[in-house]
Amino acid sequence: MEQKSLIKKITGSREALLFCILIALGVVVTILNPTFFSPTNIAQIFRNNAIIMIMAVGMFCVMLTAGIDISITSTLAFSGMSIGMLQKHDIVQSTLLMFLIAMGIGCIAGFLNGLIISKGKVAPIICTMGFMYIWRGMAYVVGNSSWASGEDVSQFAKFGKDGTAGPYIILIVVYGLFFVLMKWTKFGRKIYAVGSNAEAARVSGINVDNVLISAYTIMGLMAGLAGALSVSIYASAQPNMQYGKEMDVIAACVIGGVSMSGGRGTIVGTFLGALILAIVAKALPLVNVPSIAQNTVKGVIILVVVIVNVVSQRMIDKQNLERREM
Amino acid sequence: MAGKSGRSIKAEQEVSFKKLILSWEGALFILIILLNIFNASISPSYTVTNILREMPKYLAEILMMFPMAYILVLGDIDISVGSIVCLCATMTCFISNAGAPAIVTYIGCLAVGLICGMVNGAVATRFPELPSMIITLGTQIIYRGIAEISLGSGGSVSFNDTKKIMPLSKKIGPVPVVLFVVIIAAVIFTVVLAKCTFGRELYAIGSNKLSAFYAGVEVQKCRFIAYSLLGLMAGACGLFLTAYMYGANTTTGQGFEMEVIAMCVFGGIATTGGKGNLIGAIIAGAIIVLLRIALGQINLNSQLILVIIGAMLIIAVLIPGIQANLKARRKLKQAR
Repeated sequence: MEQKSLIKKITGSREALLFCILIALGVVVTILNPTFFSPTNIAQIFRNNAIIMIMAVGMFCVMLTAGIDISITSTLAFSGMSIGMLQKHDIVQSTLLMFLIAMGIGCIAGFLNGLIISKGKVAPIICTMGFMYIWRGMAYVVGNSSWASGEDVSQFAKFGKDGTAGPYIILIVVYGLFFVLMKWTKFGRKIYAVGSNAEAARVSGINVDNVLISAYTIMGLMAGLAGALSVSIYASAQPNMQYGKEMDVIAACVIGGVSMSGGRGTIVGTFLGALILAIVAKALPLVNVPSIAQNTVKGVIILVVVIVNVVSQRMIDKQNLERREM
Repeated sequence: MAGKSGRSIKAEQEVSFKKLILSWEGALFILIILLNIFNASISPSYTVTNILREMPKYLAEILMMFPMAYILVLGDIDISVGSIVCLCATMTCFISNAGAPAIVTYIGCLAVGLICGMVNGAVATRFPELPSMIITLGTQIIYRGIAEISLGSGGSVSFNDTKKIMPLSKKIGPVPVVLFVVIIAAVIFTVVLAKCTFGRELYAIGSNKLSAFYAGVEVQKCRFIAYSLLGLMAGACGLFLTAYMYGANTTTGQGFEMEVIAMCVFGGIATTGGKGNLIGAIIAGAIIVLLRIALGQINLNSQLILVIIGAMLIIAVLIPGIQANLKARRKLKQAR
């Protein structure tokens, strides 16, 4: 009886389940290839996926409000290119200022998204699709068809160089901050409320429009931050940076149990979802699966996770129904 | 013209000239005339022959717009089509290079597309609780992944015997073959959506799935057919793309899904389902194609076109909201 309740506890909590999967994954890969479980390797995983992980936080906020944002990698490219060009032409060289500029650009982009979606009553996917084109185009226009190379951003790249603590600190700060923000502050609970039932939230006195705008602004902020970080980590700024990676971010959230219809999901789940994707990507070459098969495996994982979720939900519903009949 | 199909049902259906102009399709029609005048004024080489020559590059995508409109009318979305195009183009090259005759190559390509669409449809209908966005997000990554695996480390494949695929890039007189195919598809898809039972069922499902189900519409069957059609047309798009590019690589068709959805939305089809018609979408598609041709002719930074298309899209989706807002305000004033 007790054991059953433990199983129920684990299957009932998405995070616990994800954590178990994560550990199982780690153990299997380590058995197959012991080099996997080394500090440098683990650090590499976090460093290489810091950008996706940071944007997943913003996407988590947006998806909680039953929205979606597919403009993020374009925002990332625009903010990254902007600071890349500022450095190339030797206008600004301070690392802190660079981050602030990139985050500012991201904020503006996110704010525009939020404004149009909340006040204009436009479907989130369409509005952000428009901005996806606009910011991507702007990234090319800002660079005037050129790009910033490693030499141009050498000073800035020191921040994210292999072996420095910069990216990890940002990652920890962002996740720590949002864990507290989403769980224990009024603001975080408001986002959950709007996502679960916007109409009920409105009636109970929450300014839904403002919550939406702030959720999208957070998303923009994270995309801007990721833009600066990506310039720093990869030591270059190109207009086609991270093209198409917004789907990876959405996938990380979905695997982490964030519902697309809003109101469900946690920051821990998001983190674990992103981490599972990252580990799979890192582990495949180590267990002798060619890296070109990476995408297929990733896609299969996404589908399997969401389908298992639906099937288990159906079983729970059926059980509940049976219990009621008795 | 079907007018505001699905939006509301009125007892009298009079089509006045003023109403026609004020409808979204009418506005788009005026826009396309203005656009042509504008294009002709900025680019001296904007002539019919030149347009017909440059058109095929952009036309293959339009083929996917028609079934995508069906999907959007259903209230679903499919973001895997770009990857289906990639997979189909890759398979076309492989089938042909293995020595198959032309007709087998064509059928093979369409079959790959159809199967991909059917897989999407099967998952979407077996698990109707799942948002179609997530399903197609998964299959988007899988289809392109399969193409990547079959392309191997080189990442591209080229067509050995280009003679086989030549008929597709040929011209009949000055008109390219692909334009004929697009026009035939446009007529069929528009008539089916506006006049046939299947088309009206799509609107019924898009407006209210549950009431459509109780009214006897086979909801899941309709959805399955729509997804399969989209896969088939993505196959056709992949076929024509190969005919013009003589090969395929891992980035073939990247971003097509969003371009196609943008055309539909610009044409007045709501992603929430049950609204819009194909006539608007066709005009919108023509606007985007013509704009691209003209801006390409004057050697404008090709990426600036992205900014213009994005801005047009956002303005287009904002207008109905603003209109409704104004109307509500006017009513409020009258009530006072």
